[in-house]
Amino acid sequence: MKSFAKTSFKSAAHCVSPNRRRVGALLLLPLIFAVLFFAVYPAAYLVLTSISKSTMGKPFISWVGLNNFVSALQSDFAWSLMRTALFAIPTSLVQLTVGIAIAVLLNAKMRFRTLWRTLLLLPLMSPPVMVGVAWKVMLHPTGGFVSRTLCQFAWLHTPSSFLGEMPWAILSIAAADTWQWTPFIVILVYAALQTVPAELEEAARIDGAGYLKILFAVQLPWLAPALIAIYLLKLILSFKTFDLVYVLTSGGPGVETSLSSYKIWKTLFQDFNLGMASAQTLLLCLIVTLITLPVTWWHRRIQRTASL
Amino acid sequence: MNSESVDKESLENVFTRRVFLANTTKSALLLTLTGQLLLSKKALAGAYAGQSLNLVLIQPHKISGEVLRKNFAELTGAKLNVTIVPYDAIEAQATLDVQSGANQFDVVEYWYASIGSLVENNVLQDVTDLIIKDEATIKTSDYIRSIYDPYTLYRGKRWGLPYDGDTHVLFYNTTLLDKHGVKAPTTWDEYLIAAKKITEAEKQNGVYGAIIMGAAIPVIIGSTFANRLAGFGGEFLKPDGTPNLESDAAFKAAKALLDVAPYALPTPVETAFEQAVPSFLNGKGAFIECWTDLGVYAQDAQKSKVIGQWDVVQLPVEKKGDQPRASLNAGFGLGLSTATKNKELAWEFVKWATGYQTALELLTTSNSGIDPTRLTTLNAEEYKRFAPKVQKAANAALSGALAWPTIPESPKMMRSLSEKLNRMLADRQSPELAIRQINSDWVQILQG
Amino acid sequence: MSSRDVALASAYESAASEKRRKWWQIRWAETVSPLVRAALMIVILSVVLLPIIYLLALSLKTPDQVLEGLFLPTKPTLRNWVNIFQNIPLALYIGNSAVAAISGSLITLVITIPAVYALSRIKIGRLLSGLVLGSYIAPPMVPLIPLFFLAKWSGLIHTLPGLIICYGLLNIPVALWLLTGFIERIPEEIEEAATIDGASVFRTLGQIVVPLMLPGIVSTGLICVILNYNEFLFAFFFTGNATRTLPIGIALFQGERLVDFGQMAVASLIGVLPIYLTAIFAQKWLVRGLTTGAGR
Repeated sequence: MKSFAKTSFKSAAHCVSPNRRRVGALLLLPLIFAVLFFAVYPAAYLVLTSISKSTMGKPFISWVGLNNFVSALQSDFAWSLMRTALFAIPTSLVQLTVGIAIAVLLNAKMRFRTLWRTLLLLPLMSPPVMVGVAWKVMLHPTGGFVSRTLCQFAWLHTPSSFLGEMPWAILSIAAADTWQWTPFIVILVYAALQTVPAELEEAARIDGAGYLKILFAVQLPWLAPALIAIYLLKLILSFKTFDLVYVLTSGGPGVETSLSSYKIWKTLFQDFNLGMASAQTLLLCLIVTLITLPVTWWHRRIQRTASL
Repeated sequence: MNSESVDKESLENVFTRRVFLANTTKSALLLTLTGQLLLSKKALAGAYAGQSLNLVLIQPHKISGEVLRKNFAELTGAKLNVTIVPYDAIEAQATLDVQSGANQFDVVEYWYASIGSLVENNVLQDVTDLIIKDEATIKTSDYIRSIYDPYTLYRGKRWGLPYDGDTHVLFYNTTLLDKHGVKAPTTWDEYLIAAKKITEAEKQNGVYGAIIMGAAIPVIIGSTFANRLAGFGGEFLKPDGTPNLESDAAFKAAKALLDVAPYALPTPVETAFEQAVPSFLNGKGAFIECWTDLGVYAQDAQKSKVIGQWDVVQLPVEKKGDQPRASLNAGFGLGLSTATKNKELAWEFVKWATGYQTALELLTTSNSGIDPTRLTTLNAEEYKRFAPKVQKAANAALSGALAWPTIPESPKMMRSLSEKLNRMLADRQSPELAIRQINSDWVQILQG
Repeated sequence: MSSRDVALASAYESAASEKRRKWWQIRWAETVSPLVRAALMIVILSVVLLPIIYLLALSLKTPDQVLEGLFLPTKPTLRNWVNIFQNIPLALYIGNSAVAAISGSLITLVITIPAVYALSRIKIGRLLSGLVLGSYIAPPMVPLIPLFFLAKWSGLIHTLPGLIICYGLLNIPVALWLLTGFIERIPEEIEEAATIDGASVFRTLGQIVVPLMLPGIVSTGLICVILNYNEFLFAFFFTGNATRTLPIGIALFQGERLVDFGQMAVASLIGVLPIYLTAIFAQKWLVRGLTTGAGR
């Protein structure tokens, strides 16, 4: 780690005087205020409403202890947590793999690299609403060209509903999500590839190692900590997927694609059950933390071995 | 924005003063007379000039909002601000507005089935006394009987006035039916046979016998199911308020829905009116159960390729000779928000917007999305001329209609119904299983 | 030696065992491989651009052509493009989105830059930064309702300032993560020299650190602008008719009786144009911003 290396060269000026600390606190003041508004207050509100019976117009009607949590776990929400985990973990992995592949491709000497890079950014910049609508029309059984083209090539016999049947519905959401976020991973991995010491790559190449060998023997091992960090980030983002579900499938067919974020939204804005929605949100945060914990631990372990 | 046919014919009837007055939107003077009778002297005298009124309206009624805004400003000088929201978000928006204290809306358009829920969430105001006071202007006996109570009555009190009276009728493509020697069906069995025949003959051309709206939204798949439930003589709830879905009628209705799905435009589970209506207008389907204003779109040269090639008939029933029975699918009223700060002006507006003259004008405006709620508008000459086929079908449909539940749990129950029926179609589950699941879910919801 | 060094050494040895490259290996590397790479790149880019090109095709179709299910329009028409500004207040939506996005981003920067300096140079507030970064796990629904009530009490609901403040607050975790990466790249020696010369913290921050960090600040700012511009959930609840932003405007097309996908496509494309142009002209900054995290 960078800061790890720096501390061994500290000069006297690094010792923080009390005066500096006071100024430092002043600099942090805006952040402290902001945190109060967007983190502390909402978190307190969340916890309090989750143990109460609340609607938006009448918060804190009564205190119900853990009833909301129990109800949530007994309802479809528990399934949605599993669905969300089963969606987030594999899709992030696939996106990481594809991202690495494309980044490696981009990394090799090629012309118009800036052009490719620019075009690759576009899906990332698109509003999820726009992405959802484009995919929705494309995948429609009669109006979308995907179904029609597949029928023409006789891979499908009748126009098929991608968004209305499982497993295609969740796969379609995964496809749209991959389309939008893989460029993000490509950019990050590409940048990480630049940090691999050139001497190592040169040495390996001179000795006759081919691309694949260099990739697997030199580049990937070197980048392991960074790659895990990237995976972690995408994993957290995947758990929050909402826009695509809202536009593409509205959680259907039935509730098969109702990911947790979407379910919480429904509890809040269709049933107006604030207490339940808060409980559901806390459960989601809990699951995300539980799942990302092993990954974080693995990341720290790899980093430690790397800097020995 | 009147349709062409009305303009041509109004010349013939220039001697009929009532027609002349109510029919044109071209003259400001005449405009002033339209609806004038519905407003109080105070309003007409300009007492509300310069004041603002906020109305929240659903997306499909956007054009009606523009007509209302223009006319109301001309008549009273008050400014009407119309907020448009998606049709499946109207309850949430209105409730959120009140519950969060934002208090932006004065008048709220509501789906009638959500009336119980809105009242319990303290969104709508009790207007029973106001209706009694202004009976002379409102003429409650003019409202179509089967509509008036479901749209306005909850717990013995009135909470709004009907604005848009929706029901489904069965449209069919006459060219396709003639081509295959099929007659307009009167029973659901005949309907299935006809749809199957046409699909098998035409599907390689991308044309199908039936267009089924099965998307998991209450007013979409709920309506499709309700049409059949009505035809088989069923009801959603028993008189004592308990679920009535474990009935023969409900099973048959679900089965009828499942049976026709294979012969419907791909695929019902994804089809809402965004796909269904254009498909019919492009001649891609022979049958569609849809709201009566489809008849207006079907004659619109810019939107329709089936002008003059369609007709409309009552929804099928169980067996020959049964009385056709409409289902009140969708349907909206206008109510006063509990958060309004200008109750007087808001009530003036609601009275005016739901009154005969305004209703008639909206009815005969293309794309307004408004359908009749009053006997007088339903049977008005102008409406008959504007949409003759539709008027006939709508007229016959509205007696003995099947109303959806209006209890507070109704929106939640309807969402459950939509989800499970959509699932039934997607997975080709057994209808009995689906109905049983819905029924037990309803029992749970009602127990709270 | 760490396990990583061991891995590297063994990689070396096996690579070194191939003393000479075979002639066909050289051939592959010089001619075929670039072609294969270019071909792969073209395939990937077509997948990447497919939905966007499809939207373009959609924007040239009339409603009945949309139903046909073909990729390209059979009879392309510019009707949607011509009519769009009359049909919906697209300019208003884009204007609102732009104002909210840029202002929100500025607020985020003003809050985060001093904080990052304090965290990284003065070394206080570790707990705070942990709290901020950890809060990123929560779905955006968490602050939605509390902030909604707050906005209502202060009368800021359905106004742009209300939305701007929310956007300013929401992106602080992202900005913090990115800016920390940038500031760690700047060697402390320059600042230490200034401190020894007697410069106050504020002067060091304003005259030395910020100018040095400028590329990073620009990148972070741009990323926040893009995140704000495309944001949907908060915009849905915090905007009214006059303050509506673009994503909501696009979503509204869906509820119509007869959805006009052609118009929707045009609205999407015109609306996203400012962002695409920003991405194209500022892509260097954006890439720099996105890549700092990976180097840590």
